[in-house]
Amino acid sequence: MAALMYLECGYPLIDSDFRNFCASHNIISVEDFLLHDLYVLVISTEQHHNSERLKEGITQVLTIINKQHQPWVDGQELLDDALQNKRFLPTGCRSIDTFLHGGLREGYLTELVGTSSSGKTQICLQAASAVAKSWGKIIFLDSGNSFSPKRVAQIVTQTSDLSAYEVDKALQEVMNNIVCFSVFDIFPLFEVLHQLKNNLRSQKDQHIRMLIIDSISSLIAPILGGGAHGHALMVSVGFLLKRLAHEHDISILVTNHMVAGEKGTSKPALGESWRSIPHIRLLLSKDQISNISSISVLRHPHMATGDRVEFAFQ
Amino acid sequence: MASAARKWIEADETAKQFLARVFSERPFLPLPPPLHRIPLRPGNVVEIVGPSPSSKTRILMQAAINCILPKEWKGVNYGGLERLVMFVDLDCRFDVLSLSRLLKQRIIRENGNGVGHKLSKVDNSPSRSKDAHTEYDKELFAVSMRRFLYIRCYDSSEFLATLKTLHFQLQKEKEAHGSGVYLLMIDSIGAFYWMDRASPSIPPGSNNRRSLSLQNVSDIAVQEIQKILVVHPMLVLTTKAASLQDKVASREVIRSTGQLSIESNLDSRIIRSSTNAQLYREYMPSVWQSFVSHRILVRPSDDSEYPKQHIYLSEWLLPSLKLPDKFTINDDGTYIVL
Repeated sequence: MAALMYLECGYPLIDSDFRNFCASHNIISVEDFLLHDLYVLVISTEQHHNSERLKEGITQVLTIINKQHQPWVDGQELLDDALQNKRFLPTGCRSIDTFLHGGLREGYLTELVGTSSSGKTQICLQAASAVAKSWGKIIFLDSGNSFSPKRVAQIVTQTSDLSAYEVDKALQEVMNNIVCFSVFDIFPLFEVLHQLKNNLRSQKDQHIRMLIIDSISSLIAPILGGGAHGHALMVSVGFLLKRLAHEHDISILVTNHMVAGEKGTSKPALGESWRSIPHIRLLLSKDQISNISSISVLRHPHMATGDRVEFAFQ
Repeated sequence: MASAARKWIEADETAKQFLARVFSERPFLPLPPPLHRIPLRPGNVVEIVGPSPSSKTRILMQAAINCILPKEWKGVNYGGLERLVMFVDLDCRFDVLSLSRLLKQRIIRENGNGVGHKLSKVDNSPSRSKDAHTEYDKELFAVSMRRFLYIRCYDSSEFLATLKTLHFQLQKEKEAHGSGVYLLMIDSIGAFYWMDRASPSIPPGSNNRRSLSLQNVSDIAVQEIQKILVVHPMLVLTTKAASLQDKVASREVIRSTGQLSIESNLDSRIIRSSTNAQLYREYMPSVWQSFVSHRILVRPSDDSEYPKQHIYLSEWLLPSLKLPDKFTINDDGTYIVL
């Protein structure tokens, strides 16, 4: 946050007198103000000859602080934003879309949990193809070389009943709309996400509808276990994703693999502290014999935990 | 000076006036189960603690609906308070569509009750009741939604900036709406726990400056809310995600506390229920723990007695009522299961 000394040109009351007064209370930046009892500060201005001006200065800093939180909105405004700007994007599988009341919603962080070869990447690729075909751009962050353009091409060809020429054109469009990055570490992940945030803010990257991270757990799990810092990075990624999703109407899909738990059960690699981060958690499983996959709800804003749908991959 | 002092000690209202004022300024809000057991009033700070997910936010939404609906609208009794709700979303996961659906459902239901009562003798045709179930009063819906004020915070500095300017916001809303805020909701208080834990207590290279450490953030947050409550009496409802005490969760916490010696005097302790079973591990600093005046634990039940319904268990820990409740949640609201 800004140091007070850089604020004077916009806020004339924050002059050197005021800054000296603040410095005597160990306040150098606006952030320091957040951590101080302003009532005590106001009282201590009384000891100075120019207490009125100092008090006005404090009020001016408060107006700066008032800009450093998100705006207050009422329920109706929030609802209008959700209805107008947060649409459902297809997963590429009709029965999943129906099950999820329309698909993957913009503004939401959706997590797919599943064991290896349960079809997590398959769903990611299907969703990417379907969105890239008719909705807009996709950013695909790939942590395990799982992105396969061949597979995407296959999906696009299979799901369209167009002539060969048209399929070619559609394929080109889909490929143009998918931007894939290989990310093997948490720090490059932050870099890509911050870059994306800046681009979206300066409106460089438009029409980005979906962000896929396959898998987020393989980027985060290695840093856990070393104390609070690993968890702090994990939670920061979570908040950054939710901010991107909400502010830029992007649907975010991440995958989480499973590790061995107690008594031979398996559990999500990102566990307790991650649990409260995504809006929606879905458990993906596949019956290896019948080849039928199923998705069940682990958490959802309004669907009941345990709701389940079965489907088959094409 | 003397007259001012005399004026100060003079009685300025009778007990009757005082009572009338208290009831209008601090009216009683009927809260949905499982919060109904204890009378809660403005000034109380309630913490709903439970694993994620355990319907904590859903309970907040139902409480908000009771508050934002009017007592009466076009002759139909809705039993609301017609007061404002402030919802501070620290989890950044609030789903406004759920709130809107629950509110619609509630309006339709109350309306149906009223209409059904009046029409029961005249018209019993199914088409009539079907109308009542698809139509809802859009105007009532909109004015109620406008009484729900929402903010999201992505980190502790935004949260503190919100609290520092809350007084100003409260006055602004009071002037705009003509009625004050009754409920202040914080969902959920431990959202930035790990981020704050990782920030150093003393910023490097600076003398005596404070940082956004867990302790400092909690100190300031409690201090600010306390001050606001003096001027604007509100009922504070907060949620806190806590992992129920199983081996996995305890290992995770112990491992990480061991690493960070600076905060190793964490206020973590194991909370036990009335039956002395371990419930969950407390992790918020003691300044927050002692600020909370009422605490209730909610958790999903693994009861197979009711296979189709989702049953949750609740128990008041502060004050300790040895009366566990079972409740269920659907779009119509929350209900106690006997």
